[in-house]
Parts: sequence; structure tokens; C-alpha cells
Amino acid sequence: MARTLPFIEAITEALHQEMERDERVFILGEDIGLSGGVFKATAGLHEKFGEDRVLDTPLAEGIIIAAAIGSSMVGLRPVPEIQFTDFITPAMDQLVQQASKLRYRSAGGFSCPITVRICCGGGVGGGLYHSQENAAWFVHEPGIKVVMPSTAYDAKGMLLAAIRDPDPVLFFEHKKLYRTVKGDVPEGDYTVPIGPAVVRRPGNDMTVLTYGYMTHVSLEAAEAMARRGVDAEVVELRTLAPLDKETIVRSVRKTNKCLIVHEDKRTMGIGAELSAIVSEEAFDHLDGPVMRVTGPDLPAIPFSPPLEKFFMVNTEKVVAGMEQLAAY
Amino acid sequence: MATKASRTVAEHEVRNSAYSRDLLLGFYRMLVKCRMCDEKARILFRQGKYAGNFYSAVGQEATEVGAAYSLRDDDWIAPSHRDWTSNIIKGAPLNLCFAQLFAKATSPDRGRSSPAHMGYPPLNVITPASSIAGQLNVGTGVALGLKKLGRDSVVVSFFGDGATSIGGFHEALNFAGVHHLPIIYVCQNNLWAESVPLRLQTALKDLSDRAKAYGFPGVSMDGNDVLAVYDAASKAIVRARAGEGPTLIECKTYRWYGHSEIDPAKYRTKEEVESWKRKDPIPRFEKYLFERKVLTDELKAEVAAKITQEINEAVDFADQSPYPAPEEAQGFVWAPETEKGS
Repeated sequence: MARTLPFIEAITEALHQEMERDERVFILGEDIGLSGGVFKATAGLHEKFGEDRVLDTPLAEGIIIAAAIGSSMVGLRPVPEIQFTDFITPAMDQLVQQASKLRYRSAGGFSCPITVRICCGGGVGGGLYHSQENAAWFVHEPGIKVVMPSTAYDAKGMLLAAIRDPDPVLFFEHKKLYRTVKGDVPEGDYTVPIGPAVVRRPGNDMTVLTYGYMTHVSLEAAEAMARRGVDAEVVELRTLAPLDKETIVRSVRKTNKCLIVHEDKRTMGIGAELSAIVSEEAFDHLDGPVMRVTGPDLPAIPFSPPLEKFFMVNTEKVVAGMEQLAAY
Repeated sequence: MATKASRTVAEHEVRNSAYSRDLLLGFYRMLVKCRMCDEKARILFRQGKYAGNFYSAVGQEATEVGAAYSLRDDDWIAPSHRDWTSNIIKGAPLNLCFAQLFAKATSPDRGRSSPAHMGYPPLNVITPASSIAGQLNVGTGVALGLKKLGRDSVVVSFFGDGATSIGGFHEALNFAGVHHLPIIYVCQNNLWAESVPLRLQTALKDLSDRAKAYGFPGVSMDGNDVLAVYDAASKAIVRARAGEGPTLIECKTYRWYGHSEIDPAKYRTKEEVESWKRKDPIPRFEKYLFERKVLTDELKAEVAAKITQEINEAVDFADQSPYPAPEEAQGFVWAPETEKGS
């Protein structure tokens, strides 16, 4: 039985249900317990499961991740939260040198089944240090899976899949989606597999590759372009690592054009890799250059509303990119 | 060092009668085994038998043996780059330890990690990463997991004085203090972090003073006294198993050689090195054993001969083991199908 839930409540429900189902699962992080999280993603969990399984931690991201890694090595399924991706840097050593390499460097002797929930993204007036994404940092680290859902249905199903995954998963949650996006969410248990991308809008004239909040922006742009006679196919990646190359390439071979849309900074971003994949594997099918609509190469998203607006990709910018590509 | 060390000895003066002959000889055999294996590893590197590097712990054996000797199979060790021999103490087969140096397919990590960065998953020795204090953070997480599971296993985390200067040290010990985790932090203070002297790392005289800030006991001692280290570790292990929380043990010791085999360690004076060689933990323990008639010249020769033979066999095993096939580099990035769906 499905009912409509906001994105964030789909996440909360997944945590409740998985903690009920599997006593190895526990959550830890800053403000997640007594306060239920700064966005209330972990609401009600402390009351229901107690401090042993809902652990408010020191404000120290390194040990939050290390505590998760170590306890996963003895058979637990920790779900640490990084309150804002902007604060993940103190945990980089643990994520990059430990989590991503533990299985590899021990030839499978140790594993690290953690799911790191990370709140990310701009467009909500968060300023320099509450708006970043930086998922691309981790896509560069084989051994870590990186996912970023855009619908309430996927949020619940992919979070359940992530917690049950035997490898470390970074689960990015775009904060702008928390309460603005609602959707049908089954009450019961289900998973949405990590890996496969999904075609959100079938079309024939160009492929738009995107993920996260930009999925919604791209879909709006595609509808606007449809009214002008350009029928775009919007592919939502959902999983950023490992990438679903098959779906990406299949779509571009069909539409013969490719536009990449992401919110984060441009240079060496996820779009760069997507562009390379398309160039290598669909070159003969391309009728125009692989193009990108992305955030600009600035150190972070500035606070003042006009400045933030300058940074953020919006429908108009995507439409402009689609128009440019459609001209080929 | 003198004051705290002598206090520690005084506290444990009962030990003369407390140790069985078997235990004392066990310590002795292990000290000699660690020394001989380490010296062999150095020679093999210099002979070009393996590439990369080696981080000798010669001079520090009493810290490793004292702290790890009595660990159970289900206990954990979080080693650093200088704790290759902690695998030997935990019980990893010597063949595999030398296969690790040679980066052969038979090594526990199938040739992935550098020679001295050895772990042994079957006996819970965590395969180390190189980043300073990374291991003691992961080890702290293991201790959290053990506590949550209600087990009475403990973690021994080895690290040098250099690791106490980085932020991760504070985060880990603070967290362990908050949650009374079953972990023993063993700092092998050998006075030098690579080439950086202790005086440029800390204003403290005793690194164990740091424990006060985290709300659990800290003790500094002569790290070249295997019995003193054993006593302190035993007390800490009992405390950890009982759920009473962590202990920080500072073992004041010295590495005889450079940070690694390619470091001539010219930053240290000959006098300093010689003065510490005179405090060699092994002859000193031999003297103790001879005085108590636990060790004889015959037995001493027998121990050395047996270990020599074991080492020779292990080196042969490593030598004859195949290298991994190039394409094996691709393995163990992701979980195999068998691990999925749990």
C-alpha cells in the first residue's frame, strides 16, 4: 500500500523499518538522537531504539566515520550521518584511506558495510558551508559506492539497499528535495538496486544525463523544450559510482546527442567523466558535441541570494543548453 | 622517564614470583623471534630480495611482546607500519609474514600492501594503512562494535609518538573515553617521528598525561622492560574486558635504525643510539632469566637455533611462492556475490 510522503520522511521510514528488521543496524552522528536531526531525518528513532542504537556523537566527523568502519568490521551495519557534506572533509582520511581500501588492501579479509548518509546541495540559502555537493570527490575512489536519489520512492528503496549492501555506500541526500519533493512510497519493505540508472522521460532528440535535484530541473526543462518540438530523454543516474554505462550509452546511441546537467562545479566534475564515456562508447552516434550545464568553477556557493542564483543551475539555464545542443 | 618508570617497577615488584617459568620463557622466545625476524627482514631488503621498504622495530620488541603476548585469538590488534612483528606475536604463520615482505600471492593480502604493512584477518590483526593515527581510529571503531555486541574481546592499538600529535588521536581517545571502550592504546615512544624529535612534537614529558584529558588511566613506563609492559597491558586488558574502558600506555623505547631502511638517521647522535643499545630489552631480560635460573646457555642456543630454522623455512616458502598474476590487481574492490543479500 503506497501513500504520498515527502522525500525526507521516506528516509526516516527506511531507517525505522530497517532498524526494526535488523538489530545490527545502528545510526550515529551529530544531533541525530535527542534532536532528531537538523532536518528531522532521524525523528523518532532515539525514542524508539534508545541511545545504544541512536548515538549522538562528538562533533568530530573523523571518529564518526572511523567508529562506523570499525564496528562494521565486527559485523554491525552502522549508518553514520554527515550533517552537511561541507563537513565531510575531516573524515576524508577515514573514507578514502580506510573505507574504500579496506577490502582491497586485505584481499577480502576485512570489509566495511557502512552507509554514510550525507546531506548536500544548494539552492536553499545555505551559504558557503551548508550548500556544497562534492560527490565527485568520492566517485574517484573505487571501493566506495556513491548514490543520490531524487524521488521519495527511490530514497526509501535505495537507502534500504545501501544498508544491506556489503560495501561502503555514500548516500547523498539533496536538502532541497527533503520537503519540496513528495511521491508515492510503499509502506512495506522494498529495495531499489544500487547501480541501474533510470529513464525518467523517454525521448528521441537528445539525452540529458543528470542526477539529484537537477533531475527535477532537467525534467521541467525537457517539458519546456517539448513545447518547442524538441523531445529530450532524461536519464537519472541515481548511482554515481559505479556508473550504469549501459543505460547511458544506450540512450545516447538512440538520441545521438548528449547534454549533461549537474549542480556541482564543472571542471573534473562528474560531467567530465560522463562526457568521456559518451565520447569513447558512442562517438559514431553523436551528431553534436557532448555539452554540459553545470555550476561554475567557484570555490563554493555564495550566500547572498543573487550570488547563489548565479551559481545554481535552473530551468532557464538547462533550456538554454538544450537549445544550443538542439541546433546541431 | 626515571620517576614514572621506577614507580611502575615498584608497583609490580611482586612479579618475581608471579610468573611461571613457561610464561617467562614464552616472553623470551617471542622477544628473540621478533628480533631475529626483524633483522632478517632488514637483511633481505638490503640483499634486494624484496622491493619497497621496511620499518624496523629492533629495539622496541618489549613493547610489542609485553602488550600483545596474552591476547586471545578473538582479540584485535590495530598495528602501524612498524608493527609487522605484532602479526607474529598474534600467531600468524611465519611463512605468511615473509611472503608479505616478498609481496607474493601467498601473503594474507595477496601482494597488495607494502612489505611491512601486514595484517592477518583470521586472527583480527587489521591490515594497516599508512596515514598516521588512521589505525587507532579504526581500532576504536572495532572496540565500539565489540562493546555493542556484548563481547569481552579487546583491541590493542599500536602507534608511535608521532601519532599522538595528529587530530585523529584526540578524536579517537576522546570517543573511547566517552564510551568506555575496550581498547588499549599502546604508544611506542621512540623519541623520533621519522626525523622529528619529540621536543618538536609535544611539550609533554610523559605522553600518558594525555589520558587525563580523556578521562581514563594513562601510564608511562620503561618500554624496554617486557615485564613492566606486560603488567601494565595485563591490567589494562582486564579493565577493558570488564567494560571499564580504555587505558593509554606509553612505552618509552627506541628504534635502533632509521625510520625505514632507506633512512640513515643522521639526525640522531651516535651517543644517543649507543646509549639506547645498552638498554637493549633482550640481554636485559636474559640477565633476569639467568639470575633466576630460568634460562641457561644451552636453552638460549636452542631457542636461537629453532627460530633460525623457522625463519629459513619461511624465507624459502616466500621465495618459492609465486607472484600474483597481473590481472589479480582487479580483485577485491567490491564484495563477491556470496556476500550480497545479507
